[in-house]
Amino acid sequence: MTLALDHRSDSSLAWRNRLAAWTPRLVLLPTILASVLYVLIFTLWTLWISVSNSTLLPNLTYGGFKHYVALWNHQRWTIAYTNLFVFGSLYVLGSLILGTFLAILIDQRVRGESVWRAIYLYPLAISFVVTGTSWRWILDPSTGIEAMLRNMGFENASFDWIVNRDMAIYCVVIAGMWQASGFAMALILAGLRSVDQDLIKAAQIDGASMARIYRRVVLPSIRPIFVAVLVILLQFAIKTFDLVYALTGGGPGLSTNVPAIYVYDLMFQRGQIGQGAAAAIMILLALAAVLVPYALYMAWRQRREAANG
Amino acid sequence: MADVTLARDFDPLATGGLRRKVRAKTLVYVLLTLFAAFYLIPILIVLLNSFRELPEINRTGFFAIPRSFSVQPWNEALNTFCVVGTCEGIRPFFLNSILMAVPATAISTAIGLVNGYILSMWRFRGSEWLFGFITLGVFLPAQMTLLPWAYILGNAGLTNTITGLVLIHTVQGLSFTTLFCRNYFVNIPDDLIKAARIDGAGFWRIFRRIVLPLSPPIVIVTVIWQFTGIWNDFIYGVIFSSGDKQPITSALIALTAGATSVRYHNVEAAAVLMAAVPPLLVYLFGGKYFMRGLTQGAVK
Amino acid sequence: MTSRRNLPLLAGVGAMALALSAGFASATPRTNMLHQWATGSDAEAIAKLGEMFTAEGGTWEQTSIAGHTANTLAKLRADVVAGNAPPAVQLKGPEIAEWNGTGMTMNLDEVATAGNWDSVVAPELIEVMKPAGSWVAVPMNIHRVNWMYYNPSVLEAAGVAEAPKTWDEFNAACEKIVAAGKICVAHGSFDWTDATTFDSIVYGMDRDLYRSAFVEGDTEAMRSQPMIDAFAEYRRIVDEWMDPGMPGRPFEEEVAMMANGDAAFLFMGDWTIGTLNAGGYTFGEDYECTQAPVNWGGDGYILNADSVVFFQQDDPDYQEGSVLLANTIMSPEFQTVFNQAKGSIPARMDVDLSQGFNPCQVKSQEDLAKSIEQGTLVRSMAHNMTVPQAMRGAMMEVITEFVNSDMAPEDAANAMADAVEANM
Repeated sequence: MTLALDHRSDSSLAWRNRLAAWTPRLVLLPTILASVLYVLIFTLWTLWISVSNSTLLPNLTYGGFKHYVALWNHQRWTIAYTNLFVFGSLYVLGSLILGTFLAILIDQRVRGESVWRAIYLYPLAISFVVTGTSWRWILDPSTGIEAMLRNMGFENASFDWIVNRDMAIYCVVIAGMWQASGFAMALILAGLRSVDQDLIKAAQIDGASMARIYRRVVLPSIRPIFVAVLVILLQFAIKTFDLVYALTGGGPGLSTNVPAIYVYDLMFQRGQIGQGAAAAIMILLALAAVLVPYALYMAWRQRREAANG
Repeated sequence: MADVTLARDFDPLATGGLRRKVRAKTLVYVLLTLFAAFYLIPILIVLLNSFRELPEINRTGFFAIPRSFSVQPWNEALNTFCVVGTCEGIRPFFLNSILMAVPATAISTAIGLVNGYILSMWRFRGSEWLFGFITLGVFLPAQMTLLPWAYILGNAGLTNTITGLVLIHTVQGLSFTTLFCRNYFVNIPDDLIKAARIDGAGFWRIFRRIVLPLSPPIVIVTVIWQFTGIWNDFIYGVIFSSGDKQPITSALIALTAGATSVRYHNVEAAAVLMAAVPPLLVYLFGGKYFMRGLTQGAVK
Repeated sequence: MTSRRNLPLLAGVGAMALALSAGFASATPRTNMLHQWATGSDAEAIAKLGEMFTAEGGTWEQTSIAGHTANTLAKLRADVVAGNAPPAVQLKGPEIAEWNGTGMTMNLDEVATAGNWDSVVAPELIEVMKPAGSWVAVPMNIHRVNWMYYNPSVLEAAGVAEAPKTWDEFNAACEKIVAAGKICVAHGSFDWTDATTFDSIVYGMDRDLYRSAFVEGDTEAMRSQPMIDAFAEYRRIVDEWMDPGMPGRPFEEEVAMMANGDAAFLFMGDWTIGTLNAGGYTFGEDYECTQAPVNWGGDGYILNADSVVFFQQDDPDYQEGSVLLANTIMSPEFQTVFNQAKGSIPARMDVDLSQGFNPCQVKSQEDLAKSIEQGTLVRSMAHNMTVPQAMRGAMMEVITEFVNSDMAPEDAANAMADAVEANM
């Protein structure tokens, strides 16, 4: 939409029109300034700190790329960075799939819909400060599911992922999905409800099975919702912090460390502010690796749509 | 997708005999119940432990069938438990959280509404890029922003104040509220606005007369999102508030990380549950409107 | 509390009041202490400090930071960056020297002289409190790290006559205990617990190695054969004497394993006492305590201490408050009350523990005196009393990775040295 500007000769009216044209920009200005401060200045400051001599306290003298070298020589960082990708992709995709599945279940005209929805949605309302301890005991083989199954007579039952360094990150994924999938469910269910019923009816008359209708008609038409869910889950994944603290404390060994914990630990516990800042910049680079292609794709699609009229 | 193929069997809309329909419906309810158990168990465990006696928990663990029952933990958590320097239970911290979360939610939502209105209906050259830039704010990890915030709050004289926390949460919340509101308003038909313009309505008049009345669904979504997010944040509260001015989640974070100190699991369980009540209430009572807001295209 | 005990405190305050009266005649002592004793019994113990400070005429405020130590340090950094350093902060070990290096800490020499601290504080601690020759910190307590708790009935049932005194005896005892169907060592694996156990192993096997590797941070010592031997002993303990459920096991659960008789031994510091008391366990029946095995046949002591550092203030009220707080913390009354609650012992060596202390605490004080006499006292690496955090963190990462993988002892020793060299 473009601004329809009236060009009248009356100067006061012209002035008013010009003011009207600028009103949106002026009103937006505080937000723009806040974002420049928060997004741009904070990032640039962190970038500068990452190439400075900072250790115990921030120090603005230039120190070169030593913190990046140290960072990539640090086994714990490579574990944490790998986990960001492993955890991030499984958590985002898992929550999305589970959320879609739950939304489709609820979409089958079930009774007590609001109760089911509330049950699936509530984990997002509370922090892991509340449920972290119980998750820990549930997953612990000597107190949780494994012990319960064995007490029930399944002598060989085994669920010891949380104490297994190769599997523990998947426990973090499970607890993360538990928290976020309800939100994905809510958004996707909302999307399912907004789909044009005529489209579905038409497909049904054509004799398409329900699975086919969901796959070919319903789900594709709510693609924008999937994108919205992806963005929200992605920022959760990048910020994952208390979930890991509550569940594994980063262990066994270093196996479930994630970048946000690394940044915090290095910057504040160890007094290596420069290296912590370098790690923060690497998180942003990982984010850019996802967002830049997406932005380019969107721009390309827009241009193509514009070209095709 | 495997989950979708399942739909064929149980979908009541699908043609098929009555028996098949009944079987499919049963399967749906069985699945819903199993998932409900998965979602409810963690909090039920916390709830049960909040009524157990401490020696029993210490001897048999958190994940065990209760053998004792006591409301004492709730009483202690409310009145006498020592948390970050006061031994008056968690009550004082409730107020701090409310003083922080309510203004921050209100301000960030209000600004987000106006921003969303501008970015969807008063687009100008570069406004799409600005929108993308503002949205980037949702991705910054809190740990990275702590020291820059410390400079700003220190220079503004806002360290260790609730006002400082409101400022932080408002600025960071703008990314989310703008994202939500803009994506909602984009779906309002252009014709409505065009007609209003032709009638000579200005920026604020259109906002008040047309956009605001259409906003309740997205306001509810945004308020729920912001309120629970701010209520549950602990890191800013820990770093930028002091002593008895801390928000409740920051005060209780000790309960997930306490390593060597004696753990009062039952009192702690009661305390964290009480702390979780406001966001839970917001979800439960706001839930209906939340869904309505989403259904009407809040996030697209 | 007898009036005799009050004397040093009064004398100290009196001396300082006299010294300062010229400058700040009208000042009323105030403080705001930043610490991490946020909940439960810890918070109660620190509340006592506030009461005593108030009783001496001070205005007490505190900033109690919950959770991970990183939270407290983040808060401190944020306050310093914001330009208002807190008057008093809980900091320990090498952090005292690091923050002293910023030039922002307050010199306590006059107070220390008036209170005669040099002659009542354990010598190993004095070095830490005086990183550059002047007192800048006051110790609140002394924790013993190298405790071995054990369940006497499990030992008896397995035919182990007495608690093992050397690591060979320990391995032999474990063989019997495992044969009797019990877990030998209760453990919950985190970086700090893995390092706590390793502290005791390295120290018990070779205390010179402990000094050079863990106190001085000498990487040659880390690569040496004795360190490889220590890792090899740890490997055996992890693989054979601990159970596979240990990663992330909550602290109270590992304590309960030992006290309930599911496991025989627990290597842990004296903060265990508080948890044992909260679980209703009795000394002599459910648990006993002895020093972790040593191969060199003496009395050993690995020391950990909490302490408070004071930052310079412009406001005379806070300046005077810091003096009062330092004196209050060093008073025998506070050291008694605080440590009865914490399971540790007073940082002053001249406090009588005959009343209100647990038998393990009494033994801790006796062993501390003996170890000073024998020259065996060391500070704890695992509990951040020796090398800087950057180096300690790197070492702990290797230790916890070793415990949770099948890394060979030689590789672990080299990895530790490499990690430390990368952080120097």
